[in-house]
Amino acid sequence: MKERIGVYICHCGGNISDYVDVEELGKMFHKEENVVIAKDVMFACADSNQKDMVRDIQENKLDAIVVCSCSPKLHLHTFRGVAARAGLNPSNYVQVNIREQCSWPHSDHPREATVKAAGLIRAGINRVSFSESLEDIQLTVKKSVLVLGAGVAGMKAAIDLAKSGNEVFLVEKDYFVGGRIAQKDSLFTTGQSGKQIVALLYEEIKKHSNITVFTGTTIEKVSGSLGNFGIDLKVKPRYINGKADKQAVKRAMEECPVSVSDDFNFGLTQRKAIYKNYPEALPDVPVVDAELLKDQPDFVAKFASTLNLNEQEETISLIVGSVLVTTGYDNYQPKEGEFGYKTIDNVVTLPELNRMMELNPEKLVHNGKQINSVAFIYCVGNRQKKGDNKYCSRQCCTSTIHTSLQLKERYKDIQMYHVYRDIRTYGKQEILYAKSSKQGDLYLKYEEKEMPVVEKDGKATVVKVKDYLTAKKEMEIEADLVVLVTGMVAREDSTHISELFKIPIGRDKFFNEIHPKLKPVETVIKGVYIGGTCQGPKNVSESVQSSLAGASKITALLKSGTVAVDPIIARVDREACTWCGKCADVCDYGALKVIEVDGKKVAQVNDAVCTGCGICAPICPENAIEIAQYTDNGIESMIDGFLADVQIKEKEANAGEEQEEVKVGMKEYPQIWKEILAGMTDEKNSIPQIAENSKLNREVVTYHLMTMNRYGVVVPAGMDDKEMYFYYKRK
Amino acid sequence: MSKVNPKFATELKKYGSDDFNACFNCGNCTATCSLSTADSSFPREMIRYTTLGLEGEIKASLKPWECYYCGECSTECPREAKPGELMMSLRRWLTAQYDWTGLSGLMYKSLPASITAFILTFVGVLAFAFNSNFDLEHMMHVGHMFEAIAIGTIMVVIFIPNIARMWYFTILQPKVKVPFKKYVSSLGEFFVTMFVQKRALDCDDNRFRWFEHFILVLGYLSLLFTTVFLDWFSTEYVAVNIFGYLVSAIVFIVTIDFVNSRMKKKKAMNQNSQPSDWFFVVWLFLMGLTAFMTRLFIDLDIIESNKWLYIFHLTILVQWALIIVPFGKWTHFLYRSFAMYFAKLKEK
Repeated sequence: MKERIGVYICHCGGNISDYVDVEELGKMFHKEENVVIAKDVMFACADSNQKDMVRDIQENKLDAIVVCSCSPKLHLHTFRGVAARAGLNPSNYVQVNIREQCSWPHSDHPREATVKAAGLIRAGINRVSFSESLEDIQLTVKKSVLVLGAGVAGMKAAIDLAKSGNEVFLVEKDYFVGGRIAQKDSLFTTGQSGKQIVALLYEEIKKHSNITVFTGTTIEKVSGSLGNFGIDLKVKPRYINGKADKQAVKRAMEECPVSVSDDFNFGLTQRKAIYKNYPEALPDVPVVDAELLKDQPDFVAKFASTLNLNEQEETISLIVGSVLVTTGYDNYQPKEGEFGYKTIDNVVTLPELNRMMELNPEKLVHNGKQINSVAFIYCVGNRQKKGDNKYCSRQCCTSTIHTSLQLKERYKDIQMYHVYRDIRTYGKQEILYAKSSKQGDLYLKYEEKEMPVVEKDGKATVVKVKDYLTAKKEMEIEADLVVLVTGMVAREDSTHISELFKIPIGRDKFFNEIHPKLKPVETVIKGVYIGGTCQGPKNVSESVQSSLAGASKITALLKSGTVAVDPIIARVDREACTWCGKCADVCDYGALKVIEVDGKKVAQVNDAVCTGCGICAPICPENAIEIAQYTDNGIESMIDGFLADVQIKEKEANAGEEQEEVKVGMKEYPQIWKEILAGMTDEKNSIPQIAENSKLNREVVTYHLMTMNRYGVVVPAGMDDKEMYFYYKRK
Repeated sequence: MSKVNPKFATELKKYGSDDFNACFNCGNCTATCSLSTADSSFPREMIRYTTLGLEGEIKASLKPWECYYCGECSTECPREAKPGELMMSLRRWLTAQYDWTGLSGLMYKSLPASITAFILTFVGVLAFAFNSNFDLEHMMHVGHMFEAIAIGTIMVVIFIPNIARMWYFTILQPKVKVPFKKYVSSLGEFFVTMFVQKRALDCDDNRFRWFEHFILVLGYLSLLFTTVFLDWFSTEYVAVNIFGYLVSAIVFIVTIDFVNSRMKKKKAMNQNSQPSDWFFVVWLFLMGLTAFMTRLFIDLDIIESNKWLYIFHLTILVQWALIIVPFGKWTHFLYRSFAMYFAKLKEK
């Protein structure tokens, strides 16, 4: 229990005191038990008042303070700082909001507002009497990082993390690095090929001895928390003898008798059972599809020294300080029959077209027929009013238009039609849109309520669209190839990854950051960051930007070897706890585990993982869990305090009408008023003059002069010639 | 259901305009146009029809004629798609569609064809002069006769069928029902448009351009009347003579300004002169000037020693009457007048 409490009730320059009788409240709480000082102040946040508070705390040996002013969002840290400067633990400070939660909303009822303010303040005083001194929790962290996914975002981030002195484990599910960009042979806006970028990044990764790359590897188990995550990896075998001669491996690839549909090319081609995604794929070691070679004993026998079909899966355990998730996206897969996909032979998706273009550099051929016209249908599987994919994939418009320019450049005599909803070639990409129009591409606009239809008309494939740019005229486009511009969706296994790391995911299954503007790459799990398209649709450069942001955050976090975390977390009363496990069930973060203490099973909170959300406290049947600073006693005393009777003397006249006569009982003006008064050098001063003299913003000066005028510190002294500004003088 | 036909755009480019593909349908052109109304909005609609290749819709439309090419749309276009130039090209294309002989289209699309026609007519005139032993009196008599006959023939053989075709494309084919009474009551619109082109006054650019056009039309029609019906070159009446001088002077002085602004290219409408535009202004200028000079030489009595001048005048006259009037830009004057008349008929 605190016995020497200081209470400061703020006028906020009239914002509070116009409606709440703060002077009376100050007098009233002065008599309160355990309250040593209670006073009303003009501006609690003014520098002069902060200094007074520090002096009060030290001279009167205060053990807790309450400031009754505005929202804690505005000044919580200001007054925590005051407490710290006075040598008081900042946890012994409580802010009571009597502006946003009292004077402003109740300006019609000043008396009731004063009563409510009294209740709020008493609740605050009661709460602070149960406060206890808390220190930040210091955690030791390991300077190593797991980067999950070796696409362009993960590879680039891994390099930066390694350069900053972290040990990096780059884990890729596929057998080859590069992710989605390896499937694009021309990326906007530079036209550079994805493979080229992958090769450059891989070369750089190899230069860093502190990066370990795992391919064909999945995450099996995640334990621990910030600073010390335990990660279990499962490495699938390649079934290639590590010591085998490169030429022999090459020969085995060539002579392999089994072929299957090639997923990397979306089934447009066949691949062998011993394969690489593409000839230059990295790491430069092929993979054996062991299942397919089961019935080929002759072949296996021939290459017995090259292949190693008995190779076993390997489990590796790592300890890392932090995790960067860059697992990327999947292409939206149209349903059978969606715009004729899979039911009409010349309907493909944009990623498929990109593969076709790379495989047919001279002449664009599909099903043996040369393609002379292409119709793109935009926003397939995206921006759905009904359905989960409400978002826009933001890179597909530009990607399509870039593809269209490539088509014209490579195959010359080809006509493109764009059946779109809106064109979003934002930023510098707009230039591509203009280029495409100029090369003769035709744009027809549809709306979601009247979707285009792809039909077979005899031999021809036609797209029927109500063109919103031609008074909704029904138009018919005959095209050799219909390309569905499919957007991005979350990875199929994003739910699984989310469960492993406890990263929250949205309805769209993309991972969620804490705050899109202020904490854009942080997740609610301390030490786990997200980058690239696993968070939501992005183009290549945006992906790399976000993964590098994550890399910088991680470097900053791990730099000192220790991390301070907020002490407001759950605590278990081991005597009361009977370990029923309910708390561990509801905890979203896995912060609660069972331990045995003196032969008794009790719950244990992992300080590094707990976010202090408080969900475990009310669920506990034994009431054995409480949250620091939000103890049962504290909260109950607040309720008691708020409901207690309040006796307040009524002011004699209405506060609003006697404004003229209000005398400011200030010992001292706020610092800013002093600066303004110092800036008033002449008898008559205009606002711009004062602002210039006192080196303050003109709007700030205007605002404060109005308040100062209201409190009789200054008075208007006419207007200038052009009647643009009031003059002011000291009263 | 209409088929998208990107080939139409390729065809239309032969008529002058080639930037309209850059259009991204913002509609600034329509918004900025002072002639476009809620009931009849352009040029965006026409650009849209052109890029999509909706030939039928364009052929049935009178909107290209409703534009007087102030060039505001081209200046304001954020994509520099030159909508004004597209409207001009559509007028050329429509002219080619109305013309049953197909010669209009041939000459618009092919400069060599036009030059061949000019050379052939020049050779024809020379042959005629040679054949008449350079007898000036005979030549001038035939020249006078030629004018009257040419006007009549072109009217009957070319213009009347072409206007009938225009009427068929814009009224009959789209099944617009017009009561006969309206044909009579709307005639006023036709004459006002033909002589005054009052719609052009609503254009955003200056009134000076309208005034120039107005006096040029008056000057041109008066010159035609003076030479054909009053036989200016052989008239004894002083008043007729002076009037002839006046109107021919108007024709060549005003055209100097037109040629000049086409060369300076300051305004959008002057920036993309096609051969057909040059032929029109230059030949009009030459016609006014040579007519003026011929009569001057007659009055100074030096024409006998300068027969070349009349042969030159006759060449210009023949080329004007046989090439530019029936198949060149002159027809715009006629079709525009009828377009306003037909538009009035279509009004509800």
